[in-house]
Amino acid sequence: MYLPDGYTTLDKISENDDYAVYDLFFGPNHPGMHGNFGYVLDMVGTEILRVRPNAGQLHRGFEKAMENKLWAQNLSLIPRVCVPDPDPNEVAYCQAVEAILGVEIPRRARYIRSIVLEMSRLGSFLMGMGGVGGALGHYSTMYLMMIDRDLILDLFEALTGGRVYHIYNIPGGVRRDIPDGWTDKLLELCDRLESKLPEWDRLLYENPVVQDRLGGLGYISAEEAMSSGITGPSLRACGVKADVRIDTPYAAYDEIEINSKLSEGGDALARAVQVRLDFEEAVNIIRRLVKQLPDGDYKLDLGNISKLRVPKGDAYSKVEASKGEFGYYVVSDGGLKPYRVSVRGPSMPAGMYLCHKHLRGMKIDDVAVWMASFAICPPDIDR
Amino acid sequence: MNAYALLGIKLIGVSFGSMAVGLLFMGLGRKVTARIQRRMGPPFYQSFIDVIKCFTKTSITHNFVMDLGIIMALGGLIATAFFIPFANFSILGSSSVVIVLYLMSIGYLGMAMGVSASGNPNATIGISRALALMMGYEIPFVMVIMAMLITYNSSDLLTYAVAQSNGIGSWHIWKYPLGFIAVEIAFQAMVGEAPYDHMIAPAEIASGPMVELSGKYLGIGFLLHAVQLYVETGLIVNLFLGGASSWYVMLVKMFAVYFTTLSINAVMARYRIEQGIRHLWIWAGSFGLLQLIYTRIWG
Repeated sequence: MYLPDGYTTLDKISENDDYAVYDLFFGPNHPGMHGNFGYVLDMVGTEILRVRPNAGQLHRGFEKAMENKLWAQNLSLIPRVCVPDPDPNEVAYCQAVEAILGVEIPRRARYIRSIVLEMSRLGSFLMGMGGVGGALGHYSTMYLMMIDRDLILDLFEALTGGRVYHIYNIPGGVRRDIPDGWTDKLLELCDRLESKLPEWDRLLYENPVVQDRLGGLGYISAEEAMSSGITGPSLRACGVKADVRIDTPYAAYDEIEINSKLSEGGDALARAVQVRLDFEEAVNIIRRLVKQLPDGDYKLDLGNISKLRVPKGDAYSKVEASKGEFGYYVVSDGGLKPYRVSVRGPSMPAGMYLCHKHLRGMKIDDVAVWMASFAICPPDIDR
Repeated sequence: MNAYALLGIKLIGVSFGSMAVGLLFMGLGRKVTARIQRRMGPPFYQSFIDVIKCFTKTSITHNFVMDLGIIMALGGLIATAFFIPFANFSILGSSSVVIVLYLMSIGYLGMAMGVSASGNPNATIGISRALALMMGYEIPFVMVIMAMLITYNSSDLLTYAVAQSNGIGSWHIWKYPLGFIAVEIAFQAMVGEAPYDHMIAPAEIASGPMVELSGKYLGIGFLLHAVQLYVETGLIVNLFLGGASSWYVMLVKMFAVYFTTLSINAVMARYRIEQGIRHLWIWAGSFGLLQLIYTRIWG
């Protein structure tokens, strides 16, 4: 952007409309931004002319760091790729390692993994729905959903010892078995969460202001969504029936009925409603998993996991996370550490590519809401 | 005591009193909002602590215009507070509602001058939203005031309050029901609560005008909001809720008005700015206009 010497961009607004473009840094230090990421917005007044995604600020370098750590050490790094929904990363990584090892984990371990994945999905959905509320200035929804998310974290703590990062899945199964009485508490929580849905509907989804704000925002057609790599609830919100749990089942999903519902519309409202539908189904899936939970071992005996040596080979594993499809491509050269780990995160298509099209012409009012509707999680862009 | 000295003491008393009442309401408001959201919330005196803390911190100013604008904003709102009858107490004897409306806008204009001088686009967008929203809520508000002017042939707030002193049945809320609805909607925008909290909107413009305020400037920002609450709740109590015969009844009525606002705020999301102004014109404007027409023809 050309500016004569001695002028700031803001001076130009008042002096000459030809130069009325200014840069607005929407993140990384901004209440509407989700994490270490930002958009540099070229603005005229409150309208966005151009968007420049400003990634590269997480400074963790997950993929490269994984090449320098033992197979087991990576388990504590991987959940950081998606903080609100960490378990899909653990499972995808472990499944890829198990595929290279050529082992199949016990049936009980597969069920426990599925339960943990659905719990993680519920926690992430609560954060996501609350996040949409927060972006819209509807803070009550956010706080109320955080209360229920905390109850999920309590159960995670009882099962894994950790609230946010669980590091529970390991190659060969899970770290420890389900404690006595834990499933009863889980079913009680499912009842509570289901009973909360009418309240959330009234507060958020039936709220006329929310409908006015979300309706028509960030519309994406089914064709565009598929060609740009959108997955998960955002793709289903375009009316496309796509769910990794159904299309290429993993863990125990091949033995469980999944009634995946679709919303249509392709806009932010449809995406928010899709999350609501998926939330309800995740509660039902947990009930089915608990009901069918088999007895048996919860892990394979792979020896000292710190000294795990994975034979030469490669594998790709994918998991349906709350934000879309998480994929891990793992290459082993037969050593104690991975040769290469590549992560395919669900936030990249919207966060880095679609933003150029969608945010152009949008008002500053809608940037945070648009991001929340796609559940963009910057660490999986910046990996 | 010298009459001027007495007037000076009264003016200082109202200045600090309005700040104290406003800060108390802000603290209680945070507690009420927290309970609606099933949180504990901070203690009711938290706002006082916040302001004291802000005044003890290092302050950053960008230029003289920023200093002047923020002081002008506080001065404008405190001057407005002098015209608001508080129970039986009124410093100036006569309190024209037209002067109140005129002085209230000085607060926003001062804020606009101060934060625009900071050069932060978020602050500029925030204050431009506030000024745009003023067009949304002042027009319905003025229509309701015009209805009262037609009835009483006077713009004196004390006259309005005295006319409502014969019990609850004589309150203007019954005489001007449509006007009260219009003013309640407009009041939501005046105090910047959802669905009209465009000026602050943290997720959109990073708290707008507050973004460049630090130390004592942020403290003054809190005080501005406190005096604004005192003025606007006091105005509504005098216009519609019968004024008050004692200071504690006045406080209770003022907080009741604020409580209603907080309750709406807790279950509402924020409109886009253009949606907000349109909503104010359509709904608050319609009720205000209907009240004005009704009063002109049958009042």
